[in-house]
Amino acid sequence: MEMHQIRYFLAVSRTLNFTRAADECNVAQPSLTRAIKQLEAELGGDLFRRERPAAQLTELGQRMHPLLKQCYEAAVGARSLATSFKGGKIGTLRIAIADAVDIALLIPHLNQLKRMFNALEFRLLRGNSKEIGEYLKKGDAELGIAVEIDRDWDRLDSWPLFTESFQLVVNRCHPLADSGPVDVEALRQQPSLSRGYCEYAERVSAALRAGDVDSGGSHEVSCEHDLIKLLEADIGMAIMPRSASTPDTLRRAEVEGLDIKRTVQLYGVAGRERTAVASAVMKMLRSADWQAFTQPAAPPNDAKPPLSIIAA
Amino acid sequence: MAEKTIAELLQETTEDSRMMDAPLGVRLQAVADAVRRLRPEFTAVVDRMVERLEANQVGQSAPQVGEPMPDFILPDQDGRLVRLGELLERGPVVMSFNRGHWCPYCKLNADGLAEIAPEIKRLGGEIVAISPETHQYGAALRDYADAPFPVLTDLDNGYALSINLAFWVGDEKREAMKESGFDIETYNGNDTWTLPVPATFVVGRDGLVKARYIDPDYRRRMELDAIVTAVTAEGGGERRLRSA
Repeated sequence: MEMHQIRYFLAVSRTLNFTRAADECNVAQPSLTRAIKQLEAELGGDLFRRERPAAQLTELGQRMHPLLKQCYEAAVGARSLATSFKGGKIGTLRIAIADAVDIALLIPHLNQLKRMFNALEFRLLRGNSKEIGEYLKKGDAELGIAVEIDRDWDRLDSWPLFTESFQLVVNRCHPLADSGPVDVEALRQQPSLSRGYCEYAERVSAALRAGDVDSGGSHEVSCEHDLIKLLEADIGMAIMPRSASTPDTLRRAEVEGLDIKRTVQLYGVAGRERTAVASAVMKMLRSADWQAFTQPAAPPNDAKPPLSIIAA
Repeated sequence: MAEKTIAELLQETTEDSRMMDAPLGVRLQAVADAVRRLRPEFTAVVDRMVERLEANQVGQSAPQVGEPMPDFILPDQDGRLVRLGELLERGPVVMSFNRGHWCPYCKLNADGLAEIAPEIKRLGGEIVAISPETHQYGAALRDYADAPFPVLTDLDNGYALSINLAFWVGDEKREAMKESGFDIETYNGNDTWTLPVPATFVVGRDGLVKARYIDPDYRRRMELDAIVTAVTAEGGGERRLRSA
């Protein structure tokens, strides 16, 4: 496939008119028609029914449209990133991150961009999932990272980044610190700090309350910063997603019987032209290796002895 | 015992080929012959796809020898951004477009490049492999070949399309690949079923293409000797000049 062929294909899909598409692409209509014929030959079927007054996408054309568009946008993004480098300007990254998502997820990627583009600037917005959706809708942010944005707007593109479980987090002096995996039952008597800003707070609380066991009391917290401070003061325990980073003063453990998982998603707005920097960050996040959050942690002190020892 | 998938059959064959003391083309051909023998119906599907791509000269309009290679900025398997222009400041660059860690021909190709990597380095050159796979799978290709060079992620084949190297696999081949045990959608992080035409470019310090090999028949790759020759012509001169 050639980039200009896809550009012409997308223009005809939009205008449903070969003449108007040719005008839009600043190309003579015979050239546009020839390019689309070549694309059709390569894909092995007609993409349009050439009807009057309007051309129509064939079944193959309809199927090819989203994937050709995705590939084309990636190519435009690749080119504009290289051009940005040449021009020394990459623009401002406007990204909204949900309160319950750790900015640590983004930092290595910002560092890479910073290394490549001295002039990189960013605007970081925070809010709950609903607010992230609003930022995207209004155009305040080009990209969003959140767990669940209500899909009341059909122009939201989303890419799941990873699905992770939740862990117990306590102060290192807490009785449950360093005790290895903990059964969810054992947590029900403990005073807990509830992450009110997390979409999964209700589900976590319900799991801790289940079975009619008297709860040890719950404190509601409104931001991760406060939560960490309270954990450091050993006011209670918390249930946090694996991707949430915690300082060395705190300990983490797997919770057995807590069957709650969340999927962190990247959001963008379909049909809106992306800046080079947003397109680059989108691809970096989608390409990234998130296995550290998705794979079960290796149980400590359970490492198999090397083969040589077994043989001996 | 359940019938082995093509993915499983290919693993053994690929290992046999890898151990051969023969030019890369012969190693690749051994795998292609084994597939033809073991799964003639799969080979028939591949042949039909290659025929379609060849008839339409897919990939041929990528940068020609003497033309500039467009700059790229792509992340490697660890998420580090790599820029072609920066590599070229140090010496000529061998760019190898691959389908992925699951492809036996790409594995042998990467393995072959790892073999000549010390020689390329001695000549002042660099190697980069490029695939549409996300980092985890790019790392798998790199690990397989024990490659000292990075495997870059060209997500959604954006850079490949920008130099006219991306193609659509097609319905018949897609179904055959799925049946064969290749989970391309997971590896590539999309469901577009587009892949790059396997290609090798040697780009000179001046940013111009010095040698290229593009073949829609993914069972054939640029011979290792030819890569070394092209890099020698480019890199060796500079090195001699400096040591003189």
